[in-house]
Amino acid sequence: MKGEFTPKIVGFLCNWCSYAGADLAGTSKLKMPPSVSSIRVMCSGRVDPVLVATAFLRGADGVLVAGCHPGDCHYEKGNYYARRRFAILKKVMETLGLESERLRLSWVSASEGPRFQEVITEFTEKIKKLGPNPVKEKTSL
Amino acid sequence: MSAPKSTTTGLKKRENAILDLLKKGLERKCFDTVLIPVKVPAGDSYVWVLAQDNSLLDDASPLPPVMPVHGAKAISSVMRRGKGRKRIATVMRPCEISATIELSKLGQVELDNVFLISIDCPGVLPLSDYLENPKKGGDAFEKVFKQWGNGSVRPICQVCHRFSMPTGASDIHIGMLEAGERDIFIISNSPKGEAILKELDISPKKEIGSWKDKVKEITEERKNKRKNLQEELKPGVVGLDRLLDTFSKCINCHNCMRVCPVCYCRQCYFDSDKLKHPYEDYLFRAEMSGGLRFLPDTLLFHLGRMAHMSLSCVSCGSCEDACPLKIPVSQIFGLVADETQKLFDYIPGRKTDEPVPMATYKEEELKEVED
Ligand code: SF4
Ligand code: SF4
Ligand code: SF4
Ligand code: FES
Repeated sequence: MKGEFTPKIVGFLCNWCSYAGADLAGTSKLKMPPSVSSIRVMCSGRVDPVLVATAFLRGADGVLVAGCHPGDCHYEKGNYYARRRFAILKKVMETLGLESERLRLSWVSASEGPRFQEVITEFTEKIKKLGPNPVKEKTSL
Repeated sequence: MSAPKSTTTGLKKRENAILDLLKKGLERKCFDTVLIPVKVPAGDSYVWVLAQDNSLLDDASPLPPVMPVHGAKAISSVMRRGKGRKRIATVMRPCEISATIELSKLGQVELDNVFLISIDCPGVLPLSDYLENPKKGGDAFEKVFKQWGNGSVRPICQVCHRFSMPTGASDIHIGMLEAGERDIFIISNSPKGEAILKELDISPKKEIGSWKDKVKEITEERKNKRKNLQEELKPGVVGLDRLLDTFSKCINCHNCMRVCPVCYCRQCYFDSDKLKHPYEDYLFRAEMSGGLRFLPDTLLFHLGRMAHMSLSCVSCGSCEDACPLKIPVSQIFGLVADETQKLFDYIPGRKTDEPVPMATYKEEELKEVED
C-alpha cells in the first residue's frame, strides 16, 4: 500500500529572520504541511553550496535556503553572497540535468509568519508534483 | 622511413628565441630568476625549475609537449609563505597565466614581483600517451606545433579558444602563429612588459596584423568546435543516471582536485573530517536506498567542487590528465564552468583587478533564483 507522498524538505533558516519567522508561524498556529526539517544557521551566507548539495544527495525531496530580505541581513551582506552561491549550485545542477527545481531560495523576515507558511505550503505542493527525489533509489552516489 | 631529422626544428628554434630573451633579461637584471619547464634528466617528463643562471636555461623548454604540473601550481608553491623581493619571470601557456591571475585574486600569488610571459599554445599531449613513449611523443608534438593543434593533443586542448592572449593579463605575449621560420612576435601587454622590452632594447613588432587575424580565425573555429564537443558530451553525462554512470568508475583518489590550479583551499573540505561520518549514518543511508557505495560521496565531491571553483576553471585539462580512470573530468567541468561563468559574465584570468564572483555581489541581481 502506498500512502500519500509527504515530501521531506530540509530548510536552512537564518537565525535572525527566517528561523524566527518559522517560529512565529508555529506559535501563531498557522496551518502548514509537516514537511520541513529546519536547520538553524547564523546567516544565509553560512550556507555553503556543499551543504545544500549534501541534503539533496542524501535524499531530501526539496531544499530551502531562507534568509533576511536583501538589505536586512544581520551581517549586512551575507544574503547577497548566499544568493550568488545558491545561483551557482542551481546552475551546476541545471547544466547536469539534476532536478534543480528542488532547490528554493526565499527571503522571510522575523515578523513574516504568514509568509513562511506560504513559502512552505507552496514549495511542498511543487515538490509533491515532482514526486520523491530519485537519488533515494540510487546506491552509487 | 623519413630522413634523419635536423637537430634544430621549427619548434626548437622558437624556443631558443624565447630563451635568448630570458637570458638577456637575466644578464641585464630585468629579473632575478626564471621559472620555466625543464626536461628531467631521465628524459621522460618536464618539471618547473626556478633557474638562476643561464646554463640551466639551455635545457629549458618554454613550450613542452606535456603539462605534468600546471604552471599556476608551480608559482603559487613558490609563494606559499608570501612574496619576496626577488623578481621572477615565467613563461607559461595561456591557461597557466589565467589560473595564476585567479590565484592572485584569491591571495595565493602576489604579482608585484612577477613577470608573466604568455605564449601561443598549440595544446599539449595527454600525459599518459606521452609517457608510453616520450621519444615518439616529442615527434608527435613537432607535428602538433606545425599543424597548430591536431588530433593528438588532449580533447580539451583541441577545443581551446583561449590558446593565445592578444589582449590578456600577461605582461608580455609571445606570438608564434604566422611568425615565419625562426621568428617570434614579442608583444607587450602591460606597462610592466613595455618597461622590460625597453630595457632589453626590443621594440615591439608593429606589423602583427597577420598574427592577430590568425588568432581570431582559430579562436572562432575553436569556439564552434567547443560547442560541438559539448553537444557530443551531453548525452553521456547529463541526467542523474548518466552522471552516476560517468563517475561510477571514480576511485575517490581526489587527484583531479589536487592538481587543479584553481582548487584553492589549503585544506579541501572533501579531505577533511567533515566528511567522515558515524557508522550508524552510513548504515542509515544504505537502508534508505537499499545499499551504499564505498567509498561514498563521490558525486557530492564532484558537484561540490564545481560549486566551489567552476567560476575560476580555466579548462586547462590537468584534472583529466591526472585521472587514473580516464574520466573526462575537464570536459565535464568545462561544460559546467561555461554556464556558471556566463551567469556573471566572468572570464577567469581576463583581468587582474576584477574580483572572483564569489567574493563580490550586486544588490540588484539574480532575481530569477529567488522565490
Ligand atoms: S577543473 Fe580541471 S580543467 Fe578546470 S581548472 Fe581545474 S584542473 Fe583545470
Ligand atoms: S573542492 Fe572545494 S573545498 Fe576542496 S579544494 Fe576545491 S574549492 Fe576547496
Ligand atoms: S582523478 Fe578521477 S578517479 Fe580520482 S577522484 Fe578525480 S575523477 Fe575520481
Ligand atoms: S543574518 Fe539573516 S541572512 Fe544574514
